[in-house]
Amino acid sequence: MARQEGSVEVDNVEAIIVRIEHKSRKIESLLKQFKPVEALKTALEGAPPKTKDERCKSANWIVVHRAMMAIKDVDGMFTALDPEYYDILMKYLYRGLATGDRPTCDQCLRIHEKLTERAGLGCILRSLSDTVNTV
Amino acid sequence: MTAVAVHQFAQCITCHAWSPDHSMVAFCPNNNEIHIYRSSEDKWERVHILYKHDQIVSGIDWSAKSNKLVTVSHDRNSYVWSQEASEWVPTLVILRLNRAALCVQWSPKENKFAVGSGAKTVCICYYEQENNWWVSKLIRKKHDSSVTSVAWHPDNILLATTSTDGKCRVFSTFIKGVDTRDSGASLASDAKFGEQIIQLDLSFSWAFGVKWSPSGNTLAYVGHNSTIYFVDDVGPSPLAQNVAFQDLPLRDVLFVSEKMVIGVGFDCNPMLFGADERGIWGFVKFLDERKIAPSTSKYGSQFSEAFGKLYGQKQVGNDAVESSKPRGGVHENCINCILPLEKTGDGRVKRFSTSGLDGKVVIWDLEDQEDILSYS
Repeated sequence: MARQEGSVEVDNVEAIIVRIEHKSRKIESLLKQFKPVEALKTALEGAPPKTKDERCKSANWIVVHRAMMAIKDVDGMFTALDPEYYDILMKYLYRGLATGDRPTCDQCLRIHEKLTERAGLGCILRSLSDTVNTV
Repeated sequence: MTAVAVHQFAQCITCHAWSPDHSMVAFCPNNNEIHIYRSSEDKWERVHILYKHDQIVSGIDWSAKSNKLVTVSHDRNSYVWSQEASEWVPTLVILRLNRAALCVQWSPKENKFAVGSGAKTVCICYYEQENNWWVSKLIRKKHDSSVTSVAWHPDNILLATTSTDGKCRVFSTFIKGVDTRDSGASLASDAKFGEQIIQLDLSFSWAFGVKWSPSGNTLAYVGHNSTIYFVDDVGPSPLAQNVAFQDLPLRDVLFVSEKMVIGVGFDCNPMLFGADERGIWGFVKFLDERKIAPSTSKYGSQFSEAFGKLYGQKQVGNDAVESSKPRGGVHENCINCILPLEKTGDGRVKRFSTSGLDGKVVIWDLEDQEDILSYS
């Protein structure tokens, strides 16, 4: 029984990885078409829900990171980004800040400032308390 | 400004309650006492101090018809106080809890009261005439964590609870010999005591402050993730709405009318929510005027405050209860209690009071607020 459950988990992980690879290709093509905001939206969609698998989480983070670093005009991004993405974006910003990587942190702090202006402290609290979307 | 009166009663107030005629207020000044103040010619004077509890009093409710006080405390006990001559006489209610009691409310008919507790249980207490004794019946094994708030449906049977497991639940509290099965169309028509009618799993973090609308058709409660939840048609197919807002989380809510709700909490400023003609709920405005126009400077000031705290500049040994910095509003710390005061002829709340960790009781008036009339 335990072995069966384990294999289900592995299948699930494989499915998530395939989905993330697909997402990654889509983002690359959007970036080539100079649509960074569209790429970011695609990246933020479909975070692996409730998975504890580190491989899925980091694969997904690499994709989101790629799209996030491609954002040059932060103000412009917010005019095109709908508010429903704010909470999940905040969650990824904190993941980015946790890396400690200089350029990533710079970019995350720049977006964080503007995002907090728009979405308030409530957005930070929601990103802290969200247990469904694992990033 | 809609705050009509501000009274600094103590350093910190955990909860408050008004006498039926609103001439007296009872509150707990963050210790084991209950202070009762009476207003006389614009001044408040202390008329009673009720000593009986051993630990912090976490809930007080004053029944409007029978003029009885019920108090609950972290000492796991409850007292029902009745006024005889000029004295308040306590009757101990043994709740049979092994953790602190957290909240209490009289039922609409005032023949029962409900206590939420840290023991993951809810006590429904009722009076047994023959034994001259309050009996506590427990709803066990339904909550996965502390019960933070309880609210009675107007039918006197259904009880809504919120809990730190993030869920809001509705139970039947029908007690043979106390309640009668007269409400035919009600949800609780044949549910037994303690039967769960519905469980709402909308929040992923602690839930607080549940209330029913005056008709009992809508339920509102808040989550600690800066979200307020509105549930219509509580029953087999509920209609839920989440409203996420920009500011710090709420602790308690109050229905002003069927379509208007006031939420209070960590932002120290009451927030008004309204439902439009399609029934879609949304944030309307802050009631304390300093924040009507949200400006970027507000975030700046809060951040610098946070940084000040992080680095502990001149803040060493600061009491947690003390507010870090005056925010320029009426309340200077988290508001954790909101109660209706005066109602208009059609049942809408015209005045309400709030109390909080800053030790103030503030009375607010909703009259002359033309912009909110569209929601009534």
